[in-house]
Amino acid sequence: MNDFLTAAVGFVLAMLALGLVSILRGPGDTDRMMAAQLIGTGGIAVLLLLGTVARVPAAVDVALTLALLATFASIAFVKKGLSSLEANGTEPTGEE
Amino acid sequence: MSVATAFEIVLAAVVLGLGIWTTAVRETYSATVGFVAYGLLVALVWVRLDAVDVALTEAAIGGGLGGVLLLGAAARLRNTELVLTEAPGKATQVAAAVLAALTGAALAGAVLLLPDPAPTLAPTVVEHAWATGMTNPVTNVLMAFRAMDTMLEKVVLLLAIVGVWSLATDGAWGGHPGPRHRADPHGVLVFLARLLPPVGIVVGIYILWTGANHPGGAFQGGAILASMWLLTIMAGLTDTPPVSSRRWRLVLVAGPGLFLVVGLAGLWLGAAFLAYPPAQAKPLILGIEVAMILTIAVTLGLLIAGAPERSVK
Repeated sequence: MNDFLTAAVGFVLAMLALGLVSILRGPGDTDRMMAAQLIGTGGIAVLLLLGTVARVPAAVDVALTLALLATFASIAFVKKGLSSLEANGTEPTGEE
Repeated sequence: MSVATAFEIVLAAVVLGLGIWTTAVRETYSATVGFVAYGLLVALVWVRLDAVDVALTEAAIGGGLGGVLLLGAAARLRNTELVLTEAPGKATQVAAAVLAALTGAALAGAVLLLPDPAPTLAPTVVEHAWATGMTNPVTNVLMAFRAMDTMLEKVVLLLAIVGVWSLATDGAWGGHPGPRHRADPHGVLVFLARLLPPVGIVVGIYILWTGANHPGGAFQGGAILASMWLLTIMAGLTDTPPVSSRRWRLVLVAGPGLFLVVGLAGLWLGAAFLAYPPAQAKPLILGIEVAMILTIAVTLGLLIAGAPERSVK
């Protein structure tokens, strides 16, 4: 069972690295932010699996914190992006 | 090579690569997003190093609140970056590179020259855990054995808030920080701001409570509460309080204030300043932490909300 879970950690980590490529390539800010969200979700999965494999029960609490706060940055991204667009005099394009 | 070692090498490579890219990329916005992702991954590294307390703080600050702060700064800078065309001269670039390389080399040298085994007080901390009745060594150090440092850190948070407020214009002095957000009452953001905070508040209190015996504590819990508060502010459900409000200022000083009162009481009841009587150590520490979680939540929230921008009308 442990081997299976460790392999799962490796798989999720590989997906995470792919998400990283998306952050590097972009091309837009929104693509990068969505990739960061993907990394947040993948990070939660890695933490839960790692907590089980390495018997660190507190890793679940870290996963919980990430789950609450990982969305937070993207909300700020949308809000700040919109307000700076409004300041430039262009209409926001319904990203929210 | 075991699977765990392979995992660690891959994780380290990913973190290092992301760090280099974040430093090298030109647009501030991309660098900020890279930094948020970097914070999430560093939390994984801390868990792997068995420093779950640090991982919790990194997840709350690096992944959440810090990201919001930096995104706000990037949004402000974006307009100035568009008009900025002149690049720094060759000499400045070379000087900056040399300085950065020297700093990096000095840090690397300091880490490599650390004595092995490192001088440590960890066994002493574990040995004396009975004195507080709590088994989380990090909380013991923060709240009991090095309580002085923790108290002064909270005072520093207050100084930081005074610094941010002092950036206000004369007209806005004492007013509400940040813009008044308005959002579609039937939109997704308002829905999320109604759905998430009840869960977040429970998790924040849980992180504080579990901190006595497991990783957690007032700072991490306070950061979660602060982000839930900011979520309702950004959704337009509540407004930031005016900074002249006496009630809110009372919450700001509650944590360090109670800490100081308990510390002074230690002069009479205990052995010294900030010495708790062992029988009452745990309730006293929990009391201080409850006051601190409120102070930390309000301080972090107001720090990110920024300087007062709208006067009270």
